[in-house]
Amino acid sequence: MPSTVALTVARYRPERESEPTFQTYEIPFRKDWVVLDALNHVKDELDGSLSFRWSCRMGVCGSCGMKVNGTPKLTCATFLSDYVPAPIRVEPLDYFPVVRDLVVDLTDFMRKLKQVKPWIIRTEEKPPAEGEYLQTPDQLDTYKQFSMCINCMLCYSACPIYGLEPSFIGPAAIALAQRYNMDSRDEGAAERLKILSEHDGIWQCTFVGECTKVCPKHVDPAGAIQQYKLTGATRWVKSLLLPWGTR
Amino acid sequence: MIDTADTDVLILGAGGAGLCAALHAADASPKLRVTVVVKGLLGRAGCTRMVQGGYNAVLGAPDSLEAHFLDTLAGGGWINDQDLVWTLVSEAPGRVLELESRYGCLFDRTPEGRIHQKPFAGQTHDRTIHKGDLTGIEIMNRLAEQALARANIQALEECRAVELLRDGDGRAAGALVLDCRAGRFQVLRARATLLAMGGGPTMYRVIACSADKAADGIALAYRAGLQLRDMEMVQFHPTGLVIPGSLMTGALLEEGLRGAGGHLRNGRGERFMERYDPARMERSTRDLVARASFTEVVEGRGTPNGGVWIDVSHLGAAVVERNFRGMVKRCRDFGRDLAREPVEVGPTTHFMMGGVVIDTACRTAVEGLFGAGEDTGGVHGANRLGGNGVAESTVFGGIAGDVIAESVLATPMPQVNAAALEASARRLTAPLARPATGDLYDLQRELRDVMWEKVGLVRDGDGLREALAAIDRIAARLEGVGVPGGAAFNLAWQDWLNVVNQTAVARLIALSALERCESRGAHWRRDFPAAAPGPLFTVRAGLRGGAPAVWTEPVALTRAAPGVSAPASSMVEIGD
Repeated sequence: MPSTVALTVARYRPERESEPTFQTYEIPFRKDWVVLDALNHVKDELDGSLSFRWSCRMGVCGSCGMKVNGTPKLTCATFLSDYVPAPIRVEPLDYFPVVRDLVVDLTDFMRKLKQVKPWIIRTEEKPPAEGEYLQTPDQLDTYKQFSMCINCMLCYSACPIYGLEPSFIGPAAIALAQRYNMDSRDEGAAERLKILSEHDGIWQCTFVGECTKVCPKHVDPAGAIQQYKLTGATRWVKSLLLPWGTR
Repeated sequence: MIDTADTDVLILGAGGAGLCAALHAADASPKLRVTVVVKGLLGRAGCTRMVQGGYNAVLGAPDSLEAHFLDTLAGGGWINDQDLVWTLVSEAPGRVLELESRYGCLFDRTPEGRIHQKPFAGQTHDRTIHKGDLTGIEIMNRLAEQALARANIQALEECRAVELLRDGDGRAAGALVLDCRAGRFQVLRARATLLAMGGGPTMYRVIACSADKAADGIALAYRAGLQLRDMEMVQFHPTGLVIPGSLMTGALLEEGLRGAGGHLRNGRGERFMERYDPARMERSTRDLVARASFTEVVEGRGTPNGGVWIDVSHLGAAVVERNFRGMVKRCRDFGRDLAREPVEVGPTTHFMMGGVVIDTACRTAVEGLFGAGEDTGGVHGANRLGGNGVAESTVFGGIAGDVIAESVLATPMPQVNAAALEASARRLTAPLARPATGDLYDLQRELRDVMWEKVGLVRDGDGLREALAAIDRIAARLEGVGVPGGAAFNLAWQDWLNVVNQTAVARLIALSALERCESRGAHWRRDFPAAAPGPLFTVRAGLRGGAPAVWTEPVALTRAAPGVSAPASSMVEIGD
């Protein structure tokens, strides 16, 4: 194993340059280091002007998503040893506006997330004082997986549809919509269907499954989209045939 | 000139405490404008999200509020504020049902569909509500989505409060806030302000908490003249990963490994707990196991990387892989096979029991300023039970939101002296104006080393005095640090602000530790290895005449006294 590795990092300082450039740093290679260790080494020891986003450092916060050698990754869970002796190239996630260096603007996702109404919708809310809703382990299993999403945006960055059609509501938002649709406490599936159907993107998803491949939490957004398409299409047909009662 | 904006309720921090407060205030009146300031991204920064174990709440017989109350006091070495503890245990059931029914959290269930409660050792009943071992992510994601659902909640992401403001009458007036993306200051005036930035003992070498924390809220409160308590009480967890030079060092391996029969061995292969607690061995209390491991390493019996070995391989690889899947994966990522070989672990800094003095309505001594969560002290006393952390933040956050909403619209918008804030902004931006000095991270390392070695698991008077001298030197040198780059999204500058706060709070920890001449809970003095006889006391800290001061106050035993009714507890569990 080599003692150093070349780390090439995308730089974009809007007050200085109109287009992103690349800068290469030679950093020590340590087998226990993840890419986030390397970025912090650059910041702490070599170049304090490098900007990147991170919070927890252990795969929980979902803040440190970047492209590593072309693939969207959580940099806190991506080891240098997976790449060396090849050089490593770190870039901001695709399809989001770059704020600075490796930091992207996630406003578009936050707007879309809100549109799918990711909260329990009920015609009548039960006062918490009456105790919990009953929900069996089997009922949990229908949506538990979708509830693992940490909003890290790797799936958007991997999604060819989102890249071509920015209005596509996107994998994570659909997975989260499905998280609520499948939750036995929720009665809002029809309301969400309307929102999701307005966007063409979902029907264009060809189940390439890139979103599922990059998901660090095994949420399987592609599965959620297929599931949604099936139930969604059925509901849509039903709503045409039986407009008076589709739930 | 610094821009000024107004809001009715200003919430500093967006973890469990901040978001529960925001939701409660926003729901009390749609007219209320609620502004949440969060250092990272909404719902994704801080430590509520890191919670693995779960949420303590009494949901029915045979458990009781009295049992939860007494467990919490016994865990806390009886120096807790008993009224705060009673508030915690009596409000937790309602809050966790609110999380389930109103906010939509997924919690593990019994076959009958009821909320499942698991045992956490040290508690007399199965009390801990959880979603597998990732409870925090579920709670934070749902709370953040709830915040999105409310039009009267505005979140300012990647912004941090840098100073608490007071008006001419001494009332809370909001905060000076730095937008870290743009590198711009803004005055946020507010009728009520909540401090809920989540503590975070990141001034130590090895940490388990989210790395974005810097005890900011406690530092701000101290500078604003608020009284703090129990600052000497810092919790260390015994089994953090030891991965030299990696950010992952300190990340937790869960308690259950010891509970299931795992062995701890020193560098010579000895099961060293025989010398510290032969009856309970590895199942001894966390503070004791953490201290024992630390002592082994300090006395030269550690592993090559300065830890001890945890070995569960004798349980059988299949058993380990089935029962500790997440832990096996965490180790495998670093090339360690937990199921088949010993893994290096060591103590890691986890939680601050101390913080701002509040009452049961989350009021501080400053009118209009409230506190909730890890920024506050008194709930956990000298040590925190596992599962009481997220309960505390959501219970008291919700209370703060309710209390603020009751009176805030009748409160006039305070006046702020903007001219004084220009001076603050100049002081805070000074490192940007100086040529880069390149010593910021050396100073942070020095601080973390001295805190770890002299203000950590084993303390004594001489060491604490040496640490205080070192902290003063570090603080003085920080005043000369320059960082490269401009103000926008400048991590080095943010780190400077962090280290300044870490240093200020480190000093309060060391001073308070020097003041407590006994050993209790998480605080262990080699020169005073036993609990002091005589009345129970708390150590208070605050700014007096421009300098830090510490003093003691008696504990008010308002509801129960030790030795009378404390339940037997075989093992005090003090995890997330």
